[in-house]
Amino acid sequence: MAITIPIYSNVNALSRSITVDFVGDILAADNKANVSSTNKTYYFKFTTGARDTDGIAFDPKLSLGLSDLALGGVKQSSSNTANAYADVSSMVIDYTYDFIYGHTANQYSSGVAEQKPMQL
Amino acid sequence: MATIQIYHQEENRFYQVTVNLSSAVLHDTDDAVIDNYLTISTNIRKTDGTAFGTFRVTDLTDVPPGYTTASDWTELINDYTEYFITEAEMGQSSSSSSSSSSSSSWMYSSSSSSSSSSSSSSSELYSSSSSSSS
Repeated sequence: MAITIPIYSNVNALSRSITVDFVGDILAADNKANVSSTNKTYYFKFTTGARDTDGIAFDPKLSLGLSDLALGGVKQSSSNTANAYADVSSMVIDYTYDFIYGHTANQYSSGVAEQKPMQL
Repeated sequence: MATIQIYHQEENRFYQVTVNLSSAVLHDTDDAVIDNYLTISTNIRKTDGTAFGTFRVTDLTDVPPGYTTASDWTELINDYTEYFITEAEMGQSSSSSSSSSSSSSWMYSSSSSSSSSSSSSSSELYSSSSSSSS
Protein backbone atom coordinates (compact mmCIF):
# COMPACT_ATOMS: atom_id res chain seq x y z
CA MET A 1 0.00 0.00 0.00
CA ALA A 2 1.44 3.30 -1.03
CA ILE A 3 1.20 6.56 0.83
CA THR A 4 0.41 9.88 -0.79
CA ILE A 5 2.02 13.09 0.36
CA PRO A 6 -0.19 16.10 -0.46
CA ILE A 7 1.45 19.40 -1.31
CA TYR A 8 -0.47 22.65 -1.40
CA SER A 9 0.63 26.07 -2.57
CA ASN A 10 -1.45 28.68 -0.81
CA VAL A 11 0.00 31.39 -3.04
CA ASN A 12 -1.35 29.88 -6.23
CA ALA A 13 -3.98 27.62 -4.69
CA LEU A 14 -2.46 24.59 -6.39
CA SER A 15 -2.34 21.04 -5.14
CA ARG A 16 0.30 18.51 -6.00
CA SER A 17 1.17 15.12 -4.59
CA ILE A 18 4.01 12.66 -4.30
CA THR A 19 3.34 8.94 -4.09
CA VAL A 20 5.66 6.70 -2.11
CA ASP A 21 5.48 2.94 -2.39
CA PHE A 22 7.59 0.00 -1.28
CA VAL A 23 8.11 -2.45 -4.11
CA GLY A 24 10.23 -5.35 -5.27
CA ASP A 25 11.44 -5.60 -8.84
CA ILE A 26 14.28 -6.89 -10.93
CA LEU A 27 16.20 -3.75 -11.68
CA ALA A 28 17.72 -3.22 -15.08
CA ALA A 29 21.44 -2.91 -15.66
CA ASP A 30 21.54 0.86 -15.66
CA ASN A 31 20.31 0.88 -12.09
CA LYS A 32 21.88 -2.19 -10.60
CA ALA A 33 24.53 -4.65 -11.60
CA ASN A 34 22.51 -7.77 -10.87
CA VAL A 35 20.55 -7.78 -14.10
CA SER A 36 21.87 -11.20 -15.00
CA SER A 37 20.14 -12.73 -12.00
CA THR A 38 16.46 -12.95 -11.27
CA ASN A 39 16.85 -11.58 -7.79
CA LYS A 40 14.42 -8.95 -6.73
CA THR A 41 15.58 -5.72 -5.23
CA TYR A 42 13.31 -4.09 -2.68
CA TYR A 43 13.17 -0.33 -2.52
CA PHE A 44 11.10 2.77 -1.91
CA LYS A 45 9.80 4.38 -5.07
CA PHE A 46 8.84 8.06 -5.22
CA THR A 47 6.73 9.28 -8.10
CA THR A 48 4.81 12.43 -8.87
CA GLY A 49 2.68 13.76 -11.69
CA ALA A 50 3.92 17.25 -10.94
CA ARG A 51 6.33 19.05 -13.24
CA ASP A 52 9.33 21.21 -12.57
CA THR A 53 9.46 24.95 -13.22
CA ASP A 54 10.51 24.25 -16.81
CA GLY A 55 7.46 22.05 -17.33
CA ILE A 56 9.52 18.84 -17.38
CA ALA A 57 8.17 15.70 -15.69
CA PHE A 58 10.14 14.31 -12.79
CA ASP A 59 11.78 10.91 -13.07
CA PRO A 60 10.92 8.45 -10.31
CA LYS A 61 13.34 8.42 -7.39
CA LEU A 62 14.45 5.12 -5.88
CA SER A 63 15.85 4.55 -2.40
CA LEU A 64 17.47 1.17 -1.80
CA GLY A 65 18.49 1.75 1.80
CA LEU A 66 18.84 4.39 4.47
CA SER A 67 22.31 5.25 3.18
CA ASP A 68 20.98 5.78 -0.35
CA LEU A 69 20.68 9.55 -0.10
CA ALA A 70 18.60 11.83 -2.29
CA LEU A 71 21.51 13.55 -4.06
CA GLY A 72 23.03 10.78 -6.12
CA GLY A 73 23.06 8.43 -3.15
CA VAL A 74 25.83 10.41 -1.47
CA LYS A 75 24.32 13.53 0.10
CA GLN A 76 21.04 14.50 1.66
CA SER A 77 19.10 17.16 -0.18
CA SER A 78 17.96 19.40 2.64
CA SER A 79 21.36 19.69 4.30
CA ASN A 80 25.01 19.19 3.46
CA THR A 81 25.50 15.83 5.08
CA ALA A 82 26.50 12.37 3.96
CA ASN A 83 25.00 10.73 7.01
CA ALA A 84 22.51 7.94 6.43
CA TYR A 85 18.90 8.70 7.22
CA ALA A 86 17.90 7.81 10.75
CA ASP A 87 14.69 6.08 9.72
CA VAL A 88 12.04 5.72 7.03
CA SER A 89 10.37 8.99 7.96
CA SER A 90 13.58 11.00 7.64
CA MET A 91 14.22 9.44 4.27
CA VAL A 92 10.72 10.22 2.99
CA ILE A 93 10.98 13.83 4.19
CA ASP A 94 14.31 14.43 2.45
CA TYR A 95 13.25 12.88 -0.85
CA THR A 96 10.07 14.97 -0.70
CA TYR A 97 12.16 18.07 -0.02
CA ASP A 98 14.24 17.27 -3.09
CA PHE A 99 11.16 17.06 -5.30
CA ILE A 100 9.78 20.37 -4.07
CA TYR A 101 12.92 22.49 -3.85
CA GLY A 102 15.12 20.78 -6.41
CA HIS A 103 18.88 21.10 -6.29
CA THR A 104 21.67 22.81 -8.12
CA ALA A 105 24.23 21.04 -10.28
CA ASN A 106 26.78 19.28 -8.11
CA GLN A 107 25.00 20.47 -4.98
CA TYR A 108 27.10 19.80 -1.86
CA SER A 109 29.71 18.26 -4.22
CA SER A 110 27.41 15.31 -4.80
CA GLY A 111 27.97 15.16 -8.54
CA VAL A 112 24.30 15.35 -9.41
CA ALA A 113 22.80 17.21 -12.35
CA GLU A 114 20.58 20.18 -11.71
CA GLN A 115 16.97 19.52 -10.86
CA LYS A 116 14.55 22.44 -10.98
CA PRO A 117 12.00 22.95 -8.18
CA MET A 118 8.46 21.70 -8.44
CA GLN A 119 6.11 23.96 -10.34
CA LEU A 120 3.58 25.27 -7.83
CA MET B 1 3.23 -2.87 -1.53
CA ALA B 2 5.51 -5.82 -2.09
CA THR B 3 4.42 -9.44 -1.90
CA ILE B 4 6.83 -12.37 -1.76
CA GLN B 5 5.39 -15.66 -2.95
CA ILE B 6 6.59 -18.81 -1.21
CA TYR B 7 5.73 -22.18 -2.66
CA HIS B 8 5.36 -25.10 -0.27
CA GLN B 9 5.75 -28.22 -2.31
CA GLU B 10 4.26 -30.75 0.12
CA GLU B 11 1.07 -28.77 0.47
CA ASN B 12 1.16 -27.62 -3.13
CA ARG B 13 0.19 -24.14 -2.11
CA PHE B 14 1.61 -20.67 -1.96
CA TYR B 15 2.14 -18.58 1.11
CA GLN B 16 2.77 -14.88 1.06
CA VAL B 17 4.93 -12.41 2.92
CA THR B 18 3.39 -8.97 2.52
CA VAL B 19 5.20 -5.68 3.00
CA ASN B 20 3.15 -2.51 3.27
CA LEU B 21 4.17 1.11 3.63
CA SER B 22 2.05 2.86 6.22
CA SER B 23 1.80 6.26 7.79
CA ALA B 24 0.46 7.16 11.22
CA VAL B 25 1.17 8.96 14.45
CA LEU B 26 3.08 6.36 16.43
CA HIS B 27 4.35 8.21 19.45
CA ASP B 28 2.42 9.59 22.35
CA THR B 29 3.81 13.09 22.14
CA ASP B 30 2.15 16.46 21.73
CA ASP B 31 3.73 17.28 18.38
CA ALA B 32 1.63 14.73 16.49
CA VAL B 33 4.49 13.78 14.17
CA ILE B 34 3.39 11.37 11.48
CA ASP B 35 5.78 8.47 11.09
CA ASN B 36 6.27 6.40 7.98
CA TYR B 37 7.03 2.74 8.45
CA LEU B 38 6.75 -0.70 6.91
CA THR B 39 4.57 -3.48 8.19
CA ILE B 40 5.63 -7.04 7.41
CA SER B 41 3.17 -9.88 7.80
CA THR B 42 2.66 -13.39 6.51
CA ASN B 43 0.02 -16.07 6.36
CA ILE B 44 2.66 -18.71 7.18
CA ARG B 45 1.86 -20.41 10.47
CA LYS B 46 4.27 -21.27 13.23
CA THR B 47 4.87 -24.91 14.08
CA ASP B 48 2.20 -24.71 16.79
CA GLY B 49 -0.33 -23.44 14.29
CA THR B 50 -0.45 -19.88 15.55
CA ALA B 51 0.08 -16.86 13.39
CA PHE B 52 3.13 -14.65 13.32
CA GLY B 53 2.59 -11.13 14.53
CA THR B 54 2.88 -8.16 12.23
CA PHE B 55 6.29 -6.55 12.41
CA ARG B 56 6.73 -2.80 12.25
CA VAL B 57 9.92 -1.55 10.61
CA THR B 58 11.05 2.05 10.96
CA ASP B 59 14.71 1.56 10.11
CA LEU B 60 17.23 -1.10 9.12
CA THR B 61 17.80 -2.19 12.73
CA ASP B 62 14.22 -3.47 12.97
CA VAL B 63 15.21 -6.96 11.92
CA PRO B 64 13.73 -10.34 12.81
CA PRO B 65 14.74 -11.93 16.12
CA GLY B 66 18.31 -13.23 15.91
CA TYR B 67 19.34 -11.16 12.89
CA THR B 68 21.78 -8.28 12.71
CA THR B 69 21.19 -4.85 11.17
CA ALA B 70 20.47 -5.02 7.45
CA SER B 71 22.48 -3.02 4.95
CA ASP B 72 19.54 -2.25 2.68
CA TRP B 73 15.84 -2.98 2.18
CA THR B 74 16.50 -6.07 0.09
CA GLU B 75 18.54 -7.73 2.82
CA LEU B 76 15.90 -6.79 5.39
CA ILE B 77 13.05 -8.31 3.39
CA ASN B 78 15.09 -11.42 2.65
CA ASP B 79 15.86 -11.76 6.36
CA TYR B 80 12.18 -11.63 7.28
CA THR B 81 11.30 -14.13 4.58
CA GLU B 82 14.02 -16.48 5.78
CA TYR B 83 12.90 -15.98 9.38
CA PHE B 84 9.28 -16.92 8.64
CA ILE B 85 10.32 -20.00 6.68
CA THR B 86 12.79 -21.28 9.23
CA GLU B 87 10.61 -20.53 12.26
CA ALA B 88 7.76 -22.40 10.62
CA GLU B 89 10.12 -25.24 9.74
CA MET B 90 8.71 -25.28 6.25
CA GLY B 91 11.79 -27.08 5.06
CA GLN B 92 11.14 -30.02 7.38
CA SER B 93 9.40 -32.97 5.84
CA SER B 94 6.05 -33.62 7.45
CA SER B 95 5.41 -36.91 5.72
CA SER B 96 6.20 -40.04 7.69
CA SER B 97 7.44 -42.68 5.29
CA SER B 98 10.54 -41.40 3.66
CA SER B 99 13.61 -41.82 5.79
CA SER B 100 16.06 -39.48 4.20
CA SER B 101 16.45 -36.15 5.82
CA SER B 102 17.26 -34.27 2.76
CA SER B 103 15.52 -31.78 0.66
CA SER B 104 13.71 -28.77 1.77
CA SER B 105 10.39 -28.46 0.09
CA TRP B 106 9.91 -24.80 -0.32
CA MET B 107 11.18 -22.11 -2.54
CA TYR B 108 10.68 -18.42 -2.70
CA SER B 109 11.27 -15.84 -5.29
CA SER B 110 13.72 -13.54 -3.66
CA SER B 111 17.33 -14.15 -2.91
CA SER B 112 18.43 -14.94 0.59
CA SER B 113 21.63 -13.79 2.04
CA SER B 114 22.29 -12.58 5.46
CA SER B 115 23.45 -14.17 8.58
CA SER B 116 21.94 -14.86 11.91
CA SER B 117 23.41 -14.05 15.24
CA SER B 118 23.14 -12.12 18.43
CA SER B 119 20.89 -9.29 19.27
CA SER B 120 18.08 -7.66 17.42
CA SER B 121 15.28 -5.28 17.97
CA SER B 122 12.24 -6.51 16.21
CA SER B 123 9.10 -4.66 17.03
CA GLU B 124 6.06 -6.79 16.75
CA LEU B 125 2.94 -4.67 16.52
CA TYR B 126 0.93 -7.41 18.09
CA SER B 127 1.26 -11.08 18.67
CA SER B 128 -1.81 -12.67 17.32
CA SER B 129 -2.78 -16.04 18.63
CA SER B 130 -5.17 -17.68 16.29
CA SER B 131 -5.20 -21.39 16.10
CA SER B 132 -5.97 -22.91 12.78
CA SER B 133 -3.44 -25.18 11.25
CA SER B 134 -2.36 -24.80 7.69
